[in-house]
Amino acid sequence: MLRALKFMAAASALAVALTSPSVLAQQDDLAPIANGDWNYETAAHLLERAGFGGTPAQIEALAALSPREAVTSLVHYDSSNNAHLLPFEHSGIHEPGLEPFPPSRPATTELAKRTGEALGVRVKPEGNRRLQPVVNKFFYWLRASVLETNRVAYWWADRMVASNNPLQEKMALFWHGHYAINESKVRDYRKLLNELELFHEMGTGSFRDLMVAVAQDPAMLSFLDAGVNVKGAPNENFAREIMELFTMGVGNYSETDIREAARAFTGWNYVDTDFVVNEQQHDDGMKTFLGHNGNFDGIEIIDLIMEQPVTAEYISSKIYRFFVREELSPALGKELGTILRDADYDVATLLETLFLSKDFYSTPSMGSQIKSPVQLAVSTYRKLGLKDAPGVPDFNRATGALSQSLFRPPTVAGWAGGRSWMTPGLLLERGNFARDVLFPDINFIPPDRINGSAEIRSVADRIRQGQDITSATQPSSMSEGGIMAESNMLADRDEEFNTRYGSFRGWQMAIERVKPIPRHTARINLSEMILEQNIETTDEAVSYLLARFMRVQPGSETRSMLIDFLSQDLGTSNIVDAQSYMEDSLRLVLHLIMSQPEYQLS
Amino acid sequence: MKKNKFRSNKALSRREMLTGMAGLGALSMVPPAFAQAAQAAAAQAAANGKVLVILELSGGNDGLNTVVPYGDDAYYRQRPNIGIPKNELRVIDDHFGFNPGMAGFERLYKDGKMAIVHGCGYENPSYSHFTSMAYWHTAAPNSGNEYGWVGKLADEIAPSAPPNYLVNIAARQSLAVRSAKHVPVVFDDPNRFMREAFAAEKDALNAVPEIGESENSSRSFLLDIARSANDASALVRDAWTKYDSPIDYGVNDLDLQKVVALLDAGMPTGLYYVAYRNNAFDTHVFQNNLHRRLLTYTSDAVAGFIQDLERIGRADDVALMIFSEFGRRVPENVSLGTDHGAANAMFVVGNQVKGGHYGELPSLTELAEGDNLAYTTDFRKVYQSMTQGWLGHSDSNKLLGGNFGTFDLFS
Repeated sequence: MLRALKFMAAASALAVALTSPSVLAQQDDLAPIANGDWNYETAAHLLERAGFGGTPAQIEALAALSPREAVTSLVHYDSSNNAHLLPFEHSGIHEPGLEPFPPSRPATTELAKRTGEALGVRVKPEGNRRLQPVVNKFFYWLRASVLETNRVAYWWADRMVASNNPLQEKMALFWHGHYAINESKVRDYRKLLNELELFHEMGTGSFRDLMVAVAQDPAMLSFLDAGVNVKGAPNENFAREIMELFTMGVGNYSETDIREAARAFTGWNYVDTDFVVNEQQHDDGMKTFLGHNGNFDGIEIIDLIMEQPVTAEYISSKIYRFFVREELSPALGKELGTILRDADYDVATLLETLFLSKDFYSTPSMGSQIKSPVQLAVSTYRKLGLKDAPGVPDFNRATGALSQSLFRPPTVAGWAGGRSWMTPGLLLERGNFARDVLFPDINFIPPDRINGSAEIRSVADRIRQGQDITSATQPSSMSEGGIMAESNMLADRDEEFNTRYGSFRGWQMAIERVKPIPRHTARINLSEMILEQNIETTDEAVSYLLARFMRVQPGSETRSMLIDFLSQDLGTSNIVDAQSYMEDSLRLVLHLIMSQPEYQLS
Repeated sequence: MKKNKFRSNKALSRREMLTGMAGLGALSMVPPAFAQAAQAAAAQAAANGKVLVILELSGGNDGLNTVVPYGDDAYYRQRPNIGIPKNELRVIDDHFGFNPGMAGFERLYKDGKMAIVHGCGYENPSYSHFTSMAYWHTAAPNSGNEYGWVGKLADEIAPSAPPNYLVNIAARQSLAVRSAKHVPVVFDDPNRFMREAFAAEKDALNAVPEIGESENSSRSFLLDIARSANDASALVRDAWTKYDSPIDYGVNDLDLQKVVALLDAGMPTGLYYVAYRNNAFDTHVFQNNLHRRLLTYTSDAVAGFIQDLERIGRADDVALMIFSEFGRRVPENVSLGTDHGAANAMFVVGNQVKGGHYGELPSLTELAEGDNLAYTTDFRKVYQSMTQGWLGHSDSNKLLGGNFGTFDLFS
């Protein structure tokens, strides 16, 4: 009963908090908040933004500390806290011959025709479809890398849900959106995983060191085609993105600066998962960059970039927008830039200042952030008290349907974030996600086991029935799949290989070797959650759920609607009477809560 | 025969829809007052009442085998095996003929309703689908922007961001329509543009959201989105239920039927964005039969769309712009297909369009790097022709990053 009263108090404290002068600290004021202003609500806000929110017990633990202790515990986290988190378990799908992976199927078969071998597979000396094993291997890696990348994303999602250092994960998510690399271009889960580990290790350290590490990271080098940037024929893409998107922002350098920087990065390349500098492809001549002359290399270029005040302003403003508010004044941006530069680009120092600031706890900052899809899913799981991301619904499918797929940012500029997360259709889809968590679909089919293409399933069936490859790969219908099948049927006349068979065989080999994602559903017990609070009425139950799951409370009409709904569905407003059968009704009411616009706010 | 097939498909989808709606009962039906309000809003949506529809052909359409320059011998030298002989083409003048599958385009061109703009592209072309498409989506070649050019256009034309001004029919929102102020209506299957709810929840979930009087501007924004979701999903589903057209769009309507359904229902939309999806035009191998089929579907759908607009009396209000993220390389490859290329033709279609050829023809003998057509027209000049010439929006500097001039495409 005491605990229940505490939560009623917390809920009403929030209503007060929004107008109370003590918490209505000054906007744009980076001075630390007073110990006296620290309470359950400010602690909850900190955990929402520096992490992914949490259970009432986790918030209480943070509220019991001083603000500085609370912020320190999140920013200067102790890595030994996470002994329960296991490293990524590789399926063992990669083989030496696969690297370097050609850019396309035609490039692969051309290579095989020219050299008699590709992807570690030799062309058959005689007979029909001499290139078929090569084509099979090409599609195998294409599918296997996609499936394994989905496992890496799941592994990361589990960490986000289970880590005792949530800021480490949140910061990795920020850097993943900043250095926005896409699996469809890199096509190698190992490089993506290595880069994620870079973010885990260096995310709150020096931005300068992280920038150097990313610029030398095979994932980034492959993504931005660094391999074609060679002495005498510099490719500006890499240098341009570093300045435009990663450090300074457009308008703070000239086209000449880009060309000169591109020369400095020539020869930077990778072999498999290692960074290499090809000295003979590196242009060691004099360069003029941002007003400086010298025979700079890539690292010196990055250091010159870091000397620019605009670099610190650009990155600290972006960090601010991710953690605090969408809008900030140019003056505040300059102030943040100074803090970061004075700290030698130490990100933890900037974060500490932000999370302690009166600005962070001012009215415009509290409860004003629209959760990203990943944030929505992870915080839902954390607030439910789950220990990992359930296998049903599929995490990647669910967040993808809400427009954020890990390792598949839409462009090199990352996710736009903020209000662009939301469309009318996506708001409805967010409610559908909640339903799929609370009422898992009994007809769920794991997307990593059964491929979605009806044509490939049909090829598989016909091959099993003993048909030859030509017959088995003929289009089975005039549907959309049939259109694509036409090209494959024609391609088969080549008799060197059959791409549709290769696609089928690739799937088959990939599914055989990539480990399955565990498909447990969420173990949720809302009845127990409510009974532990000694709650007696539907009014109290709804108040508890609203306080536990929402940072911004809905209006009174919605609240009454929820209470009426619960009372009606239970056939009583007395929770004690209904305790033996109330689980489904509580889940329905929680689905309604999670479908509300306010649930999307952090 | 085709018509019957089409009708039976439509009947099936409506039956499915009615089944789907059964659980929601009367709540899903739009009250007449709603529809009237939408009609009224339609009048004020675009300054000049014009509607722009954009069709994206994803995957990189082979422009040279779409509008074939049969009058240039170099075409046949570059494409000895996949070049289409003149006697198979749908000849439109003494130099060009459409791909044999494109009866619809031939008719539209001969009726003077289609402008073909040649040589559209940009400096330092990217051969990546992903990168080049992002350039076209943001109108920012060799750069990028977090908002799409259609989204920014909506922001500039209708800064008060009236609901339902921008519609994107797609499985997920295109970067092109990402907007700072507008809430694009994004849906795929109108029958699924709804909450998935259990019967017991329907009243509670469909309750009209409260008006956002909150000091929290994000909350007000979300309450607006929630109301828009309730309004738009009902409007879209109602428009689709009522839509019943005898016009044959062929096998794949490219979502243009949904555009007509919404126009006819009085949605106050000024900008529509649809796509031939899933990189369909990426024809690397044995492309001719496949490419012809893709073009047939495109041509059928576009011709059906224009006819359908006539039927509902809106043909003078709508212009359609068609683009692809790049063309394909001039020489055929060894697999009897074509690889990723650069400059390409764009198409603008509509009753008010002054049909004909626009832009300078790229040379087939003096090729740019990588055996590609050198672009002769910055694609943003075509964008500007649409924003300025069609929608009457004069300032392109912020929107497109400069003044690219216009083609005089409209009468």
